[in-house]
Amino acid sequence: MFRKLSEDRIKVRISFEGEEFFVDTDQSVASALLAEGHQVFRSSVINNQPRGAFCMMGVCFDCLLEINGRPNQQACMVPVKENMVIKRQISSGNNPS
Amino acid sequence: MTLPAFDYVILGAGPAGMAAALTAREHGVKVLVLDEQSQPGGQIYRNIETLKTTRPQEFQKLGQEYQSASQLVENFRQCGVEHWFERSIWQISKDLSIYHVNPEGEHDSSVPSLVQAKHLLIAVGAMERPMPLPGWTLPGVMACTAADVLYKTSGLVPEGKVVLAGSGPLMLLIACRMLDAGVRISAILDTGNKTSTLESLPLLPKALRTPSYLFKGASMIWKLRKAGIKMVSGVQTVEALGTQKLEQVRFRKGSMTETLGADLLLLHHGVVPNVQITRLLGCEHQWYEQQRYWEPKVDEWGNTSVKGVSIAGDCGRVAGSKVAELSGHLAAFDMLYQMKVITQKDRDQKSKHLFEQRNSHLAVRPFLDKLFQPSKNWLVPQDDSTLVCRCEEVTVRQIRDAVKKGALSPDRVKSLIRCGMGPCQGRVCGLNVTEIIADESGLPPETLGYFKIRPPLRPITLGLLAQLH
Amino acid sequence: MKREEAEVAVVGGGVIGASLAYGIVNRNPSVLLIDKENMELTASRGNFGLVWVQGKGFGMPHYADWSIEATEHWPEFASRLEEESGISLDYEKTGGLEICLGAQEFEERKNFLGQMQEQSKDGTNPCEMLSRSDLQSKLPDIVLGDEVSGASYCPHDGFVNPLALLKALHWGFQQKNGKYRHGHSVLNIQKNGCGFCIETDSCLFQVNKVVIASGLGTTKLSKMVSMHVPVRPERGQVLVTERTKRVFPFATGRLRQNADGSFMLGASNEDVGYNLETSPEVLSSIASHAIRIFPVLNNLQLIRSWASLRVLTPDQKPVYVESEECPGAFAVTSHSGVTLASLHSNHLPDWILDGKKPLDFDVFHSRRFDVP
Repeated sequence: MFRKLSEDRIKVRISFEGEEFFVDTDQSVASALLAEGHQVFRSSVINNQPRGAFCMMGVCFDCLLEINGRPNQQACMVPVKENMVIKRQISSGNNPS
Repeated sequence: MTLPAFDYVILGAGPAGMAAALTAREHGVKVLVLDEQSQPGGQIYRNIETLKTTRPQEFQKLGQEYQSASQLVENFRQCGVEHWFERSIWQISKDLSIYHVNPEGEHDSSVPSLVQAKHLLIAVGAMERPMPLPGWTLPGVMACTAADVLYKTSGLVPEGKVVLAGSGPLMLLIACRMLDAGVRISAILDTGNKTSTLESLPLLPKALRTPSYLFKGASMIWKLRKAGIKMVSGVQTVEALGTQKLEQVRFRKGSMTETLGADLLLLHHGVVPNVQITRLLGCEHQWYEQQRYWEPKVDEWGNTSVKGVSIAGDCGRVAGSKVAELSGHLAAFDMLYQMKVITQKDRDQKSKHLFEQRNSHLAVRPFLDKLFQPSKNWLVPQDDSTLVCRCEEVTVRQIRDAVKKGALSPDRVKSLIRCGMGPCQGRVCGLNVTEIIADESGLPPETLGYFKIRPPLRPITLGLLAQLH
Repeated sequence: MKREEAEVAVVGGGVIGASLAYGIVNRNPSVLLIDKENMELTASRGNFGLVWVQGKGFGMPHYADWSIEATEHWPEFASRLEEESGISLDYEKTGGLEICLGAQEFEERKNFLGQMQEQSKDGTNPCEMLSRSDLQSKLPDIVLGDEVSGASYCPHDGFVNPLALLKALHWGFQQKNGKYRHGHSVLNIQKNGCGFCIETDSCLFQVNKVVIASGLGTTKLSKMVSMHVPVRPERGQVLVTERTKRVFPFATGRLRQNADGSFMLGASNEDVGYNLETSPEVLSSIASHAIRIFPVLNNLQLIRSWASLRVLTPDQKPVYVESEECPGAFAVTSHSGVTLASLHSNHLPDWILDGKKPLDFDVFHSRRFDVP
């Protein structure tokens, strides 16, 4: 869905769903994952449907991920950091009726 | 407890916030600027410092206006303003105590987590008007400006089959940027309505006082056509199709329906002010009928109905970066006058040419606002199964049912069907909820009110909250 | 000016008014439910959702029994309402805990429940005290804070989704052709030859009977038909967290986990008049208290908060009264509208329509507040 224009930037190591990547520093978790071709970030809380990044500016709260063990982190706002462990956020609550 | 106090706290380091900071600093006032991003620039000049130094080629491609803003950013950096980046506001009390956290929702020991403002300038800018349509929650469907953000911050450009849908000058600008970056665009689906084109014509003469805007618009369309992009006007419905992610885009124009393969669908339906903070503070708002959004009620300096709180830039009437910058200076001059740093005469003298410039930039707005008036088809999704509230997954049909049972305000709808109760706090669904209630009930939107906005403006941990105790 | 007629009008669309209207419409379809438009002051929309007995009725044993009776009716009431409205209430009779921090709180709680037992008619009290280890064994999935000393437990307690309850009552009422009239502020209620005329800003309603269930507006409206029903506002602030795994299957007065997995924290008691703002200080102390009980809550994110005004009578117990000067005019108010919803819809229609009062009903008369 996206491609990178250049490949000459400083890298940090992150993992997403157990898979390791080296990604450009100075960017958000969301853009790092999109650059690696990952679009599905979480499942929705009511209907368990796939969701990904949408607004990329902190408005929509659709890009929520589990980062370093903490759920509901805004992937488009949190900068990538060395050794970040990132997981899809699978709706952990009970779905309301 | 005495809090760290500043004469002037500015929320947002975009053109409006930076300009206000410059003017305030020139007069020796103690200024703090808070911004969610890691460097100044706002959304319009996002990542400008890094781009200039590390990716000069892309910096050049972003055009004259973007490049010239780097002078503003440089001045801002050197003006002696205190600036704290990667700060999100979660609460502002009536006494202008400002509570903020980092993007992870935590405190940093590097800066105090609570500051007090004597005067507050809100310059948090606009957001894209959400454009709910069937399938718009699928991964692979994004807001148009999201592509722009990815380009500026990460050097990412769309790849594969790229479709744009919507209307408005910003969509054309972003499409042109993509062309320059070598992106192949499969199609642009123009959902603008024809009647507003006709209705906007009488406003053209005034708009011609600032022909640069019109020229820019026309040349963008010309450029896109020349590139051979499939451009469909008068599109009436758009659907995103797919199971785990976007696979196809289906659209209808008159009796013709067409389905396109798609890897990325970018939506744009104009921009609207981000009023979350002015709502939280209880500022009075008014309905701007032409563009169908709520804006804070302000005087010519940007003062809101709440004492000590003013706004500048696109978090009020949306008018672009130049107007935002001028409004920033103006708001600061009036703040200086209110704080008795300068006299009224001083203020008026120094502001005169700023007002003149602002008026000339504003001349084109009535024409543009009419030409790109949001059309009802997109304000009130025609397919009743469309999700409006992305967080709590509430459909148009559920909202209509709630209205039929007597819910005649966004807050009533919210309490009945959880619409607007999720983490985005109704930022995304608010305007559409208003439009759907208005459509179902026949009442004018300005009578319906808006969601009551309460803290936290963004989620924070209970642990962090408890630490305030 | 529009005009409309009906047998009964209930003034107030909160949970009390809606319970009454829903109950009455089951017996007589000619019911109007008259509601205002601005819902800021509506206590039902800020409710914590407890169906609660524990500790209620101190100084008025009959109210304790009334609350127990209400919880006994709740399961049947909930399933019927769910069926009729098609809305799930998320009602769970989980049993309720009041969790104590420190030895002193535990002793105080124990003594208080002992006094409740002494004043009760049959010398019993449904509550028991649990030691810290008893409590922990009831809660295998969540670790207690170091300060937790134990809890009181009552099997009757539980909780419901309060907004779902309100919605279901409204839906159920309208399904039976009850007429919901919203957007009205009531200007006057006047006795006339054939009953009462209710004048609003846009309509005249002519009814035989009128029930005032108007929350904080009850005092003013009751006065129009010669009743003295004093109420005052008390602010409470509530917090809701993100959804998480279901680990806490009980109700407590200040903390519970919703059916969707989110935690709800609450119960400040503030005398601040009609101020509806939340305050960071109070939110902070609520969060802090909850973390002392369950340290794991420390990392959970707060998503929403709000403030709401409770409707309190001087002794905080319900008022049920029919006007002596204007028979046919009734006032109902209580801070326990959710708990009592089952009885309000089951028992009170007999009183309002036929004058048949439940046993010992007069203890709830508002004359108890009259200065002799």
